[in-house]
Amino acid sequence: MAMNETDQGYLLPCGRDVEAVWDRLDEIDAHELECPHCLGARESLRALRAATEEMAHDTEEPSRALFGRIMSAVRAEVRRGDVLPMPSDDAGPIHVSGRAIAAVLRFAADTVPGVRARHCEVVSRIDVIDVRMKLAVSYVNLSVDLVDVVRERVTAAAAARVGVRVDRLDITVEDLYDL
Amino acid sequence: MTPEHVITKPVVAAVAAHAARGVTGVVRLEPGVAGLVGSVARTARQRFKGLDPVPTEGVRVRVENQVWVEVDVVTSAVDQAVAVARAVQRAVSRAITDATGLPVAAVAVFVLDIELS
Repeated sequence: MAMNETDQGYLLPCGRDVEAVWDRLDEIDAHELECPHCLGARESLRALRAATEEMAHDTEEPSRALFGRIMSAVRAEVRRGDVLPMPSDDAGPIHVSGRAIAAVLRFAADTVPGVRARHCEVVSRIDVIDVRMKLAVSYVNLSVDLVDVVRERVTAAAAARVGVRVDRLDITVEDLYDL
Repeated sequence: MTPEHVITKPVVAAVAAHAARGVTGVVRLEPGVAGLVGSVARTARQRFKGLDPVPTEGVRVRVENQVWVEVDVVTSAVDQAVAVARAVQRAVSRAITDATGLPVAAVAVFVLDIELS
C-alpha cells in the first residue's frame, strides 16, 4: 500500500513544488532568483533546516548524559532493594548492597587462574555473612587445592574490600571447561 | 522571647552531601530515581532564580528536634566499604552540627555499589 497518494506535495503559486525547492536548497536557478514565492519558500526552509540542525546538535550530548544518570538511578533503585545490614555502632546503621558484595567476591574468585565465578549469593547474619558460590573451572587447572585458594581469596576480599567476616562459604564446582 | 531561626531540610541535606562527598573512598553519591527527579526540578527552579543549585542528591533528611540522615553512596573497592561508611557517618554528623547547631541522632549509610576499578 502506498503511503503517499501522489508524489506532488505542496505547490507554490508559481507552479513549483516545495519538495523540489527543499531538494535543491543550496542550488539556485534563474526562475528562483526572480520568483517571490520560491524565494519566500527557500528562506523559510533554510530557517527550518538551520533550526533542525541546531536542535540535533544541541540535544545530542546532554541527552546521553541524562540517559546515563537515569540508568544509574534505576540500577541504584534495584540495589536499594537488596541491601544487607553490616556491623555498625550507635552512629547509625550501615547497609551494603548484596549485589555489590557478590560482585566483589566473584571478582576475587576470578583472580584464581582457571576459575570463573558464576552464581554468588550473599546472606547476612549478625556481623558476619554466609556466601554460596558456584564456579566453572578449567580442566587444566582443576586440583584439590584449587577450591582452597578460591576460599582464601574470597574471604580476604570480603575482609579487605567490604569489611565483613565470612562465616560460612559454600563452594560448588558445577562446570568444567577447556576439556 | 528567643529569636527563632529555621534551617530547611535542603540546607541540611546539602551540608550532608558535601561532607559525604569529601570522604576518602566515596566515589559518588547515588541519587536514585526520586532524587534524580527532585534534583531536576530543583535545578530548574534555582536556575530560574539565577542561582547555582547545591547538590543534595543521595541524601534524605528528617528534621525534628534532632536530625536523622540517610546517605546513599558508591564506594571504591580500594577501601573497606564498611570503614568508608563509618567515616561518612562521622563526617556528616560533624558537618551538620558545626554548620547548623542541630544535634544529629543517626546517620544511616547505604553502600549501593562498590566500584572495582
